[in-house]
Amino acid sequence: MAYNKPIPPRGQHTKPFWEGTRAGKLMLPRCRDCNRVHWYPRLICPSCHSTNLEWIEGSGRGRLHTFAVQHRAFGGWAEEVPYVTAYIDLDEGDRMMTVLRGVDPTKPEEIKIGTRVEVEFEQANDDTFIPFWRVADESGE
Amino acid sequence: MGAANLSNAAAIVGAAESDVIGYPEDLTGHKVTSLQHHIQAIKNVSVQTGIPISDIQGIFSAGWSGELAEHLGLKPRYLDTTSVGGCSFQIHVHHALAAIHAGIIDIALVSHGEAGWSYRGGGGGGGGRGQVSPGAEMTAAYGTFGAPSQYAHAMVRHFHQFGTSQEDFAHISVVTRDWAQLNPRAVMYGKKQSPFGGPITVQDVLDARIIAWPLTLYHCCLVSDHGGAVIVARPEIARSLRTNPVWVTGAGESMGHQNILEMEDFTATSASRSSATAYKMAGLGPQDMEMAMIYDSFTITAGITAEMLGLAPRGKGYTLWKDGHAAPGGRVPINTNGGGLSFNHSGMYGMQLLVEAFRQLSRTAEDGVNGIEGKQTQATTCVVNGTGGTLSTTGTLVLTSDDR
Repeated sequence: MAYNKPIPPRGQHTKPFWEGTRAGKLMLPRCRDCNRVHWYPRLICPSCHSTNLEWIEGSGRGRLHTFAVQHRAFGGWAEEVPYVTAYIDLDEGDRMMTVLRGVDPTKPEEIKIGTRVEVEFEQANDDTFIPFWRVADESGE
Repeated sequence: MGAANLSNAAAIVGAAESDVIGYPEDLTGHKVTSLQHHIQAIKNVSVQTGIPISDIQGIFSAGWSGELAEHLGLKPRYLDTTSVGGCSFQIHVHHALAAIHAGIIDIALVSHGEAGWSYRGGGGGGGGRGQVSPGAEMTAAYGTFGAPSQYAHAMVRHFHQFGTSQEDFAHISVVTRDWAQLNPRAVMYGKKQSPFGGPITVQDVLDARIIAWPLTLYHCCLVSDHGGAVIVARPEIARSLRTNPVWVTGAGESMGHQNILEMEDFTATSASRSSATAYKMAGLGPQDMEMAMIYDSFTITAGITAEMLGLAPRGKGYTLWKDGHAAPGGRVPINTNGGGLSFNHSGMYGMQLLVEAFRQLSRTAEDGVNGIEGKQTQATTCVVNGTGGTLSTTGTLVLTSDDR
């Protein structure tokens, strides 16, 4: 089925990120001077104000920081209610927003803050892949 | 009087431009964006003056100050985003002069970035032509719609950090309905005015339709119409009028973020900083506040703001309502008009806070301004805190009555 949810406005400074998603990579901006990863991508390091920035390939792993269960939505998302929106603490540092998969939205009390999660990518159109996060399968670890 | 005191109170100490102006393309042939122009010019003026970006205390720009502060990772104590066309920047310098003269800030940044050629035809707007908000780019895909969809994340985090529950916050809804029943202008004055009107119970709040779990409908503010206006004047004028003046004894402002993606602690807002500034100016503390007007877009907003204002310990803001302290007859009445949850909320509720604080402290509520009585307290002090954006920005006032 064709992707029917909003596709984000493409910024002018994030090409490496979006190209990374096409290759299944989570590219993150890092400051070469203070070595910190920040999210969202910036033109200047928000920690030390260096403009000496680079893109690195992230691990695609993190932990659930907080979440909510959306019961009221519009457009394509309305067909999916209820669903879980969430903020993910990246293993590399800083935080990313997502829709969290692999959880039961009807049992929010069973969703645990701190749960291990990992990224996956969904193709939205010919050149856009959108990152989503899913509760990690820890059984093999 | 007044203006003469400002003369030479501040100087422009640096001025720089972005790297390539005119008809620029960057090295990869891409157009230069408005945000790039901003950031390059800011970096360049920092280098020119030797003033680190982290020393900037006030940010002035035509509609983009919050985004700029967030991009720079700054928590400014003075925000001015006056956008009145091409003369905005002269006005920014004027406002910066006043802020520096007043001792609020020492270092102000006035910034401009406008890719007028690169994005010609792309429309204007506060960010400059063609500029995509970088926070929006990385959050727009994820199915949140309006304020409740985001504030719900803050409440879940509060549950996690402090062991609180939906029920704890439900008491805030119940108490604002109690206040609304004393205010005939309140949307939720009674069942006759609205099927959702007061009184309501904690169970009603829990059973209401879920908007964004854990927020049910009754955890969310109203959507209504409102108009309000306030006049501020110097003491000689204030004393000459038929109204009782309410003194602006303390004031402070701050911000944490523009996009909630950048909120460091989902259970804490910049009201801790804006109120610290306001209390210090006033020479008063939270223990001196006899009432409070707290922006209550959602129960979680009111609960955590009470903590930030020092009215309750961290994690315990809701107890002011649960234990009746914030309720009619309580020791610190809060949101005596019924709040944004039960009185009126038009989208930007801050004016309603001011009007009610004035009515209570000036004793004009007794006079029946607008034909409505409604003196709810004998308070002589009131802390007023507005919260803007998505738990983003805060402005705190400490107001005192003339008979204090």
